Amino acid sequence: MMATTVATPVTPTESDQGRSVSEEEPRGNEADEESQQTGPVASVTHSRVSKLPLARIKALMKADPDVSLASQESVFIIAKATELFVEMIAKDSLVYAQQGKRKTLQRKDLDNAIEAIDEFAFLEGTLD
Amino acid sequence: MAERPEDLNLPNAVITRIIKEALPDGVNVSKEARRAISQAASVFVLYATSCANNFAMKAKRKTLNAADVLAAMEEMEFERFLEPLREALEVYKKGKKEVSDQKRKEKEKKETDNDKSREEEDDEERMEEEPEAENDAEEEEVEN
Repeated sequence: MMATTVATPVTPTESDQGRSVSEEEPRGNEADEESQQTGPVASVTHSRVSKLPLARIKALMKADPDVSLASQESVFIIAKATELFVEMIAKDSLVYAQQGKRKTLQRKDLDNAIEAIDEFAFLEGTLD
Repeated sequence: MAERPEDLNLPNAVITRIIKEALPDGVNVSKEARRAISQAASVFVLYATSCANNFAMKAKRKTLNAADVLAAMEEMEFERFLEPLREALEVYKKGKKEVSDQKRKEKEKKETDNDKSREEEDDEERMEEEPEAENDAEEEEVEN
């Protein structure tokens, strides 16, 4: 059964073949439970549904004045990448909590991770 | 609505879930840490978008595509994301194809000719004018 509800056609998928296909964006990914796998098996790759709402991701992307159009695929990939990013920063910060013999991740663990890890350098000075 | 980009937060519940699933059982996350991670995620989206858009502009394209995002990940030194993202993209594309094949079959069952001309009208949507079909009531058009 297709749990994906369909709304009006939105941005066509920009595939490598340059085909312009009439695509219908799955509406309200927040409500779409179809591929929400719980537990340790929940893999980012196996779900074609994003945990993060695509509408919100798109709103963020729109905030950039240089961005005019974005394919649905690109919004989806950024959503997925953001999931991976959150996983990564949580795990990398945990190391510092464990060093401090704590079981609770705290803000300072995050700050330490941002300072220590090259990939997180772009975050320096951006968080409140 | 002059919202700062940084104010566009991602839903707390989802961020919390992603964090919890990434960490071992028994580990807690303070509210401040959660908030900071959520903020960091928003910054990540902005940075990745900007980076991806540079690739699109370099290629003289107006539409940001998946390849641009993948190129951005590499540029941002998140090469480890490339493989899982490529896989997710494949699953996504397959799923979309199934949906549109299904829709097409359903349409063909009903009336054909009337619907065909409607399909052809679907153009690329300008982001500024895009009618938000989602029920996201809180989402406002960002006026630049």
